[in-house]
Amino acid sequence: MAQKTTNLGTRLRDILKLQIGSISETIEREGRTIFGGSNNLLANEEVTDFCLEFLQLLMALLESRDPTDDTTPQFHALEMFFNNLSKQILVRGGRVEDLVRFNQFMQRTLIDSLEKEEQAKPSKQAVQQDFQELKEILLFLSGTFNELDLAVFQAYLEEKEKTIYAQEAELRETATPITQIWDGVLTLPIIGTLDSSRTMLVMEALLNRIAQDRAQAVVMDLTGVKNIDSQVSHHLIQMVRAVQLMGSDAILTGIRPEIARALTSLNIDLGGVTTRASLSDGLKEAFRRMNIQVSSQN
Amino acid sequence: MSAAGFHLTPLGQSSALLEPSRSLDISRVEELIEEVVRRLQARRASLVYYDLSDLSLIDGVYYAWLNRLAVACKAINVRMVCISMQPTAAFALAGMTLLPPQFETALDLTG
Repeated sequence: MAQKTTNLGTRLRDILKLQIGSISETIEREGRTIFGGSNNLLANEEVTDFCLEFLQLLMALLESRDPTDDTTPQFHALEMFFNNLSKQILVRGGRVEDLVRFNQFMQRTLIDSLEKEEQAKPSKQAVQQDFQELKEILLFLSGTFNELDLAVFQAYLEEKEKTIYAQEAELRETATPITQIWDGVLTLPIIGTLDSSRTMLVMEALLNRIAQDRAQAVVMDLTGVKNIDSQVSHHLIQMVRAVQLMGSDAILTGIRPEIARALTSLNIDLGGVTTRASLSDGLKEAFRRMNIQVSSQN
Repeated sequence: MSAAGFHLTPLGQSSALLEPSRSLDISRVEELIEEVVRRLQARRASLVYYDLSDLSLIDGVYYAWLNRLAVACKAINVRMVCISMQPTAAFALAGMTLLPPQFETALDLTG
């Protein structure tokens, strides 16, 4: 097997060496068409650089002990090169389809170069002596480029995951708009439903903000909470307790009549929890506790 | 003024800062409470700050120790204020109990 793979490597390396100029020119031209020009994904110099690097890495793989072994450092280097190139192109707005098509084009170019070399030989010799070798080369190219396609998809998935993660983080940020409305006073309008996972996120963000801003008072406004059940009320009290444990004052505001009614039927004890009718009343209370007086100039 | 597992620093006339160290053995709760109370009485303290800044997590056992110490402090007319609780500790404690603790809390020594 090792002898066969060495032959395969030698044969392909020889072809590459003989036709390196035309192969490089062909894939570079296609690369500029797909990624350059109006697509503006890569500059011409970048296309030239990556084509050269690709051919160098492919040559290094062919010079390795077993080019078909996908665990060698040479194979890994080629994979990583494609992974990084794909990320670069995807970040700039490129499409995964174009990357895969370009990969296929490079594979076809290498097969074409093989064909050219075969045509230069006497036909009988080509058919009889090289059939097995050709089959191995084609299988090698097919296997290698399949792996490179996978590297492209891997990069695509990683980029998508990054995007999803960033969007989730942004959503979390907008879902918990903690604002420092005054030195040491934070406001947190709660809108929608407070489920367990959201409570954890809000609580974590709120407690970290208290520590970061040294907030002495937190006004939690419930105007946007339409319904409350025992679980939500439990989470609410949990948040109030956490704020108090940090040493800040928690003030609940904007409790609608239907929420107040629900709290009584749920047997929720709001003892030790400061409540005020509206956000502005809550802020006044926070200011009062901090000995801050806000008055009109008139 | 150091004892096994904690350091008590006088603050002004009638306050003190209690800083627990890593060697504080809260399984010796009875002895520890007596020791802290004795020292607070000797200093005629009316307020003790318990510094939690080094504790990133407070479990049920530690919370029970804090509550018992706070009750003992109340018994000798001393307010116990826990300061600098870490967000992670507050997060964990709030999930553990919804009842208010026996001690007061503050952001830091300045209140």
